Amino acid sequence: MNANRSGQACALTVLTPILPGSEAELRAHLEALHERGSPLARLPRTHFGRWVVVPDFVREPGQRHADRLRCPYLLFTSCFDGPLDSYLDELCAGIGAEALEIWGRCAGCPADSAGLKAYLLHNKIDTGIFVAAYPRATVARVRHSLERRERTIAFALRSQGMEPAALQRAFVEELATP
Amino acid sequence: MTAHAADAGRTATGTASRNVHGRALAITVISTVRWWGRAWLPLFFFYATRIRGPSPQLAQLSFIHFARWTLIRRLPANGPSAPEQRLRHAQLFFESNFNGGWEEYIDAFSHILTRGMNTLWGSSYGFPKPLPTAPFKAYIRRHEIEASHFYSAYPEATTTMVAAALEVEAKLAALAARADAMEPEAFADAWRRFLTDVQRCL
Repeated sequence: MNANRSGQACALTVLTPILPGSEAELRAHLEALHERGSPLARLPRTHFGRWVVVPDFVREPGQRHADRLRCPYLLFTSCFDGPLDSYLDELCAGIGAEALEIWGRCAGCPADSAGLKAYLLHNKIDTGIFVAAYPRATVARVRHSLERRERTIAFALRSQGMEPAALQRAFVEELATP
Repeated sequence: MTAHAADAGRTATGTASRNVHGRALAITVISTVRWWGRAWLPLFFFYATRIRGPSPQLAQLSFIHFARWTLIRRLPANGPSAPEQRLRHAQLFFESNFNGGWEEYIDAFSHILTRGMNTLWGSSYGFPKPLPTAPFKAYIRRHEIEASHFYSAYPEATTTMVAAALEVEAKLAALAARADAMEPEAFADAWRRFLTDVQRCL
């Protein structure tokens, strides 16, 4: 069993070192993504994703030795519909330019999207435990089901008091085809 | 200002605005593990994923879409400016994608998953035990890192809504497959039974 998987859902965790002097710029770029539209929205197999700038590890008072990062790191995680290999292909092809805007500010990142997949795999960290509430449902199925549920609610309200024949006709027209 | 959420402005959800997308919230926590956790946690991960399977207590937490725990032991080399770094201590990375409020999330975690929390974070420096919740929340705040960008593919849907929608869709498809071939009266009966069956999902 692969700990990066739960059903068909997969977890990806990537930690990459941010180039010296690039942290503020990278942070500003990432923080502006919400207004500009998330590039992850163009990866239709992504359920959830995040970029996090990790400045350093926190040292607790009882901890004798600190573990200091040599530089800030960029953490990227994604919960997506597997498998990983084709997901990374889609990431490189679908949002390659934006991905290079982000990881291009990290040490070792290739100059073009052709080498990006290998770079992300090189910096991937395997998951220990991955938990998914609906492990067999793809993003497409979740969205489709949410939309069908809304239509069912609307239909149930609208069809109250309909005669059986009219109810059946309306159901077949509105809800019988997915 | 640092990225740690404890220092950042919080929204009504109890977390920083960049940890929020619609109804979805992100939590990202990294804690330093004592020497024995470096051996213990991989054993527990193995047991939890390959022997025991999904935790029944975790399944009770109906507001979690996805969560993960990962141990970071080394950071690979990335050219001359970033040589490989073998960490003195392993770091425990935890993330969750959930809905509701931050405080309620930690409360529920502490009360329902008390043993599991002790198992997972017991080897982390400074871990105060999940109960009482106030010190534990302070601990999580200290170790939480605010996301710079957080994305959900269905930001307005809670975990419960997704589970309900999947159930409705499966039952709707079953009714739709036979709807055309039924007599109108039989269909009206089937439609009423369908509504009764799925009413808690609507």
